[in-house]
Amino acid sequence: MGALSLKDLHIHYDRQPVVQDFSLDIGDGEMVALLGPSGAGKTTILKVVAGLLAPARGEVIIDGQVVNDRPPEKRDAVMVFQKPLLFPFMNVNQNIAFGLKMRGDDAARRSRAVERILALTRLAGLGPRKVHELSGGQQQRVALARALVLEPAILLMDEPLSNLDANLRQEMRELILTVQSELNITTLFVTHDQAEALMMSQRVALLLEGRLRQVGSPRDLFHRPADPEVARFFGGGNFFRGRLHEGHFECDFGRLPVTAADGNGHLRTATIRPEDIQLATAPVDLPDSFAGTVVRTRFEGMATRAWIRCPFGELVVLTAESALAPGQSVRLRLPPDKIRVFSEASSSE
Amino acid sequence: MARPDAGIDARTRRGPGPTHLALMLLPALVVVVMLFGGGLLLGVLQALGHLPGAGLERLSGMHFGRVLTDPDFIQSFGLTLYVAAVSTLLAAGLSVVAALALNRMAARWRLVHFVFQIPLTVPHLVIAVAVIFMLSPAGLLARLAVAAGLIETASEFPLLVNDRWAIGIILTYVWKEIPFITLMLLAVLQNAGGELIDVGRTLKADAWQRFRHITLPTIFPALGAASLIVFAYTFGAFEVPFLLGRTYPMTLPVWAYKHYSDIDLMARPEGIATGIVIAAVVAMAVVTAQALTRRARKRGIVL
Amino acid sequence: MSRPKAVLVALTVLAAVGLPFATLVIWSLADRWFFPGLWPQAWGLRAWSYVVTTAGGQVITALWQSVAVAFVTAVVAVLVALPAARALGLYSFRGKDAISVLLTLPIIVPPLSVAMGLHLWFIRLDLAESFIGVVAVHLTFCLPYAVFVLWGVFSNYNPDFESQARSLGASRWRVWLRVMLPMILPGVIVAGLFAFLLSWSQYLSTLIIGGGRLITLPVLLFSLMGSGDRPVAAAVSIVFVLPALVALLFSARHLGGKSLAGVR
Repeated sequence: MGALSLKDLHIHYDRQPVVQDFSLDIGDGEMVALLGPSGAGKTTILKVVAGLLAPARGEVIIDGQVVNDRPPEKRDAVMVFQKPLLFPFMNVNQNIAFGLKMRGDDAARRSRAVERILALTRLAGLGPRKVHELSGGQQQRVALARALVLEPAILLMDEPLSNLDANLRQEMRELILTVQSELNITTLFVTHDQAEALMMSQRVALLLEGRLRQVGSPRDLFHRPADPEVARFFGGGNFFRGRLHEGHFECDFGRLPVTAADGNGHLRTATIRPEDIQLATAPVDLPDSFAGTVVRTRFEGMATRAWIRCPFGELVVLTAESALAPGQSVRLRLPPDKIRVFSEASSSE
Repeated sequence: MARPDAGIDARTRRGPGPTHLALMLLPALVVVVMLFGGGLLLGVLQALGHLPGAGLERLSGMHFGRVLTDPDFIQSFGLTLYVAAVSTLLAAGLSVVAALALNRMAARWRLVHFVFQIPLTVPHLVIAVAVIFMLSPAGLLARLAVAAGLIETASEFPLLVNDRWAIGIILTYVWKEIPFITLMLLAVLQNAGGELIDVGRTLKADAWQRFRHITLPTIFPALGAASLIVFAYTFGAFEVPFLLGRTYPMTLPVWAYKHYSDIDLMARPEGIATGIVIAAVVAMAVVTAQALTRRARKRGIVL
Repeated sequence: MSRPKAVLVALTVLAAVGLPFATLVIWSLADRWFFPGLWPQAWGLRAWSYVVTTAGGQVITALWQSVAVAFVTAVVAVLVALPAARALGLYSFRGKDAISVLLTLPIIVPPLSVAMGLHLWFIRLDLAESFIGVVAVHLTFCLPYAVFVLWGVFSNYNPDFESQARSLGASRWRVWLRVMLPMILPGVIVAGLFAFLLSWSQYLSTLIIGGGRLITLPVLLFSLMGSGDRPVAAAVSIVFVLPALVALLFSARHLGGKSLAGVR
């Protein structure tokens, strides 16, 4: 059982506000990613939940109880740090058993729990090893095992994959997902990698400059960003202004049917993801399209990114068409269902 | 002793050729081998009865034998061991407390951190002089005792220098060596201590458990190495026990020098032999420290 | 740490470190201070004027003697230590462990044992009772000490900067002067300062090799303690401790509070 609720957190560092107005509810067994660029205040929030930092204002509530006044050792939340931070003077077994020992479990019980968690984290047989004999990936798994063995209500992870290289990262990601669903531990993890956040979590909370910008399912954040900055964070590049009118967005690119609820006659900002723009090299291929000229291209492997000059401005397009050349004429079409019109409050950039 | 070798790359880096390396090391090795090694070797030879100028005489263990069987030697050895051990233990214990306190003290108490380092550079001799002025029967403390009405004359004041328990000597060493040990501990604590302590807290260790299971193992190798260095120094130092010690028994270094400078030239080899015994004891302490450090490094602790 | 606790620690440190110096300063300014007076009966500058003027400038001579010995020792120690420390700090080679033990052992083996052995040899080489002889005996522990400090400096030094500079067209000499030296300079200064202080504080080895002819400050201070003139002994003690304080101030101010860990 473990529900975490953060209410209106304000966190200061050296009297400078680092995080403001942060509220987030995480349900029992849920896995939430706290996403944001470095310096956004993600780790700070994690440390406040763990009890290593005190918030200037606001409440940390674990299972319905305000735990602000409890030191870290009295909170049912365990943190896995970015670096493995294994105790160098202990072997793997001793590291994993540390928390159990502090809690006062007897030796037999400790070794049973450690064996189980070693198997779960695919470390079986490595128990007697010295920690500096382990690979980076193994060390990170030990750090995870050391936290999991305590079966905390809340598991906090700070960039658990950032120190690993690409292959290990994928392996560790799968491991975390498996273990988390198996043990059903409420998990809040921090990452700066949007792909990681989208892949691993049930919900994503996006933090920009110390403020929570959007919380929602990975699909929500990716396809329905709340404001241009969120869209930009997820790789959106095309922003244009227009007016809402009777269910249509009237802009330079035409009169596009959209599903924006209200705001008739108001000036709004809209966006479309580069991969959603349709591109054709022959005019006949595309109805409702307009002309553009390729300015420059960049081959990215699976796709080609092209900067296209149109009569009304420049658009970035991600297309499977790999034979584009600067100066070439193309036709573009913006599918109306892919256009996202921001509401007024957030469109004022 | 603690090796300053952080050794990140030293193991793998391709160095210059062996000749080049030898040339880099040669000047220092020549000086150390000739002056230090030569000094010790000549000391051993003289202690074995060899007198340069008189040609190579038959070497004998006679002087070593005379030294080691002298009842005064055992007394001196015991006293020296006592002074070195008690000074080291006291300084080490207080250093742990000081290191923890200073480590938790914010950096803005810069003055305190600075003042704390002062004894590092102060010559032992100066502090020994100050200790005499403070603790001798006519010293500051005795005057305070009179003012407080505890005693009436200097002779009533308990002996704190040139005393049976070598209190003055030990106090001097403790004052001088605490910063040395503490700074070695602080370096370790500031490198690794903070983060590991945070880990310990989230893993539910209370304050005592964090000290016992994290801080202590972290600082232990450095503490051991620093303590052995202090032990080695206090075992072989002359100035402080010469000024603050009793005339009988003397510590080994004082005893050695007294024999060495005796008008009776026959006593000189015995003085040198005593010096060699001191060096041997100290060298053993160093070897132990090296072994400890190596073991610590095997366990993955960077000193 | 809570504020009252911090204040307590601060006061303890200040008192413990400050008390001996306060005692020395008061004694050096006391013309008459009979037992059991808690305060000198008469203040005066007798001791200090003795330090500056009397007895043929005995104190001043000793001061210069000490400075000369310590300075030459420190410079030679650092110059000889630099290449060795570079080899030890940057590279691994066969016999490194043995060499490291050999080079660090003299830091802790008491100079007393070495000086006694060297004395007869130095007499035959005509080095006894000479400046060079005393510098030589001080080198036996100051040089290993400088190696030890610089070794630490070099193991935190990345020679790839030199390769980078070479690839940018700098000559070997310029690389040493413009790349290596600025990077290791703070460490070199620390090594030099403390080699100086180590030599500066030395009593017995100076006495044995210098044979009472080379009067450095500590040698003088010992004879003053024997004579029982406390104010003068206190004043000379203060002179004796000054370079140590200056060195510490300097390193705190110009070396960015670089930790003196491992320094003694």
